Amino acid sequence: MIGVNQVSQMWLGLKQALNLLFSLDQEVYKIIMLSLSVSLTATFISSIIGAPLGIFIGIKNFPFKRILVRLLYTMMSIPPVIAGLVVFLIISRKGPFGYLGLVYTPAAMIIAQSCLITPIIMGIVYNGTKERGSLIKALGKTLGASSGQAMLLLIRELRTNILSAVVTGYGRAVSEVGAVMIVGGNIKGHTRVMTTTIAMLQSMGDYSTAIAIGIVLLGISFLINSILYHFQQGA
Amino acid sequence: MNVLLRNIVKVYEQFPALEIEEWSIKSGALWGLIGPNGAGKSTLSKIIGRLEAATAGEISYDGNPYTTQLQKEMTVVFQKPYLLRTTVWENIAYPLKIRGYGTKEIKNAVEDILYQMEIGPIMHQKSWTLSGGEAQKVALARALVFKPRLLILDEPTANIDPAAVAVMEKMIRRANEEAQITVLMVTHSLQQAKRLCKEVAFMHRGKIVEAGPTEQILYHPSSALTKKFVQGELLID
Repeated sequence: MIGVNQVSQMWLGLKQALNLLFSLDQEVYKIIMLSLSVSLTATFISSIIGAPLGIFIGIKNFPFKRILVRLLYTMMSIPPVIAGLVVFLIISRKGPFGYLGLVYTPAAMIIAQSCLITPIIMGIVYNGTKERGSLIKALGKTLGASSGQAMLLLIRELRTNILSAVVTGYGRAVSEVGAVMIVGGNIKGHTRVMTTTIAMLQSMGDYSTAIAIGIVLLGISFLINSILYHFQQGA
Repeated sequence: MNVLLRNIVKVYEQFPALEIEEWSIKSGALWGLIGPNGAGKSTLSKIIGRLEAATAGEISYDGNPYTTQLQKEMTVVFQKPYLLRTTVWENIAYPLKIRGYGTKEIKNAVEDILYQMEIGPIMHQKSWTLSGGEAQKVALARALVFKPRLLILDEPTANIDPAAVAVMEKMIRRANEEAQITVLMVTHSLQQAKRLCKEVAFMHRGKIVEAGPTEQILYHPSSALTKKFVQGELLID
């Protein structure tokens, strides 16, 4: 049961969220902007890679396709900390890509989030393509579309499904904490994002500020999802 | 478009589904493919329309082997057509757009076919709001708008209302007689074959048992199997 104390913490958090948003606090805005830029960049990269691959797997038959699909489904539910740990080991100073100096940078966070959400976007697009892809491809052929035109037709017809995949991928990216904490390190002013800030504030016992940041995160997610939803409905 | 089939074989998981030694469709013909369920009618129509590959054999179109360019001159309408997730107008305009027609040409061609198919009032409707009959009419309009040389129809009027069937049959006849479009139509309805087709091929167990003028096949069949089918005794293979 939620006690009186918790309710007052939440109420305080709500008031603080409004204060945070309108206080023009540079640090808060930096955290918000970094969260958005990391998650949106990761979503963009994952969409560019995941959507075409999902379509390809959906319409083509090739050896070991079933195994690949099972692997894809497994990757869709990979725990973020494991993804973060693997990326960390690869880009850490002693790792194979250590010379790039990516560890504890926003770029590392983008890589980790991309690794997490590319399979999600790919999997959702694959499922949509599997159901309607062959029908759309056959239609394109019967109407005389070239292979390029047929591919464009496929993307156009699957746009609702692709947008759903992008929305889901973004949702996963923006709410993710484990992977970005490992590869980013939650460094103040450098790799601190909203989710890692919330985790840090919670461990410090500053619940009302944690709730305030959480409310800001929810508000921004609502805004971005509303925009994507608008496009999805139009499609 | 002249179509010639030679030694066509289709095997599904070691089961022979089709075996056609030789069959030709002359340019300007209106053929009906009849036969019980599972006879191979749809498979044959898909192979001719290049939507399925034959296991063996060859098909020539106007004496030439298939090329991708040829695909722009033929089309297939299915029993359950897939309509693009957009308006009726955009669905019908699509084949013209991909062929690079100008805006005015597209407008004229689409308006003309909308009028002929009696679907003008629904031109701004989204495809997913259409009834079965309307969807079939739109699919046929989309197939006819670019004037293909070969039109393959796989039970295009199954499960739709009689008024829509009448309009579709009128359009198929007109396409064949006026635009000289070669038509191959899979149908379950012998009445429809009588009304529409100049020639009919009866299929059974993947083979063409008998083919020729509609009247001859339906009223004076030479094969006992055809006779059984036209008398309604052989509906399922």
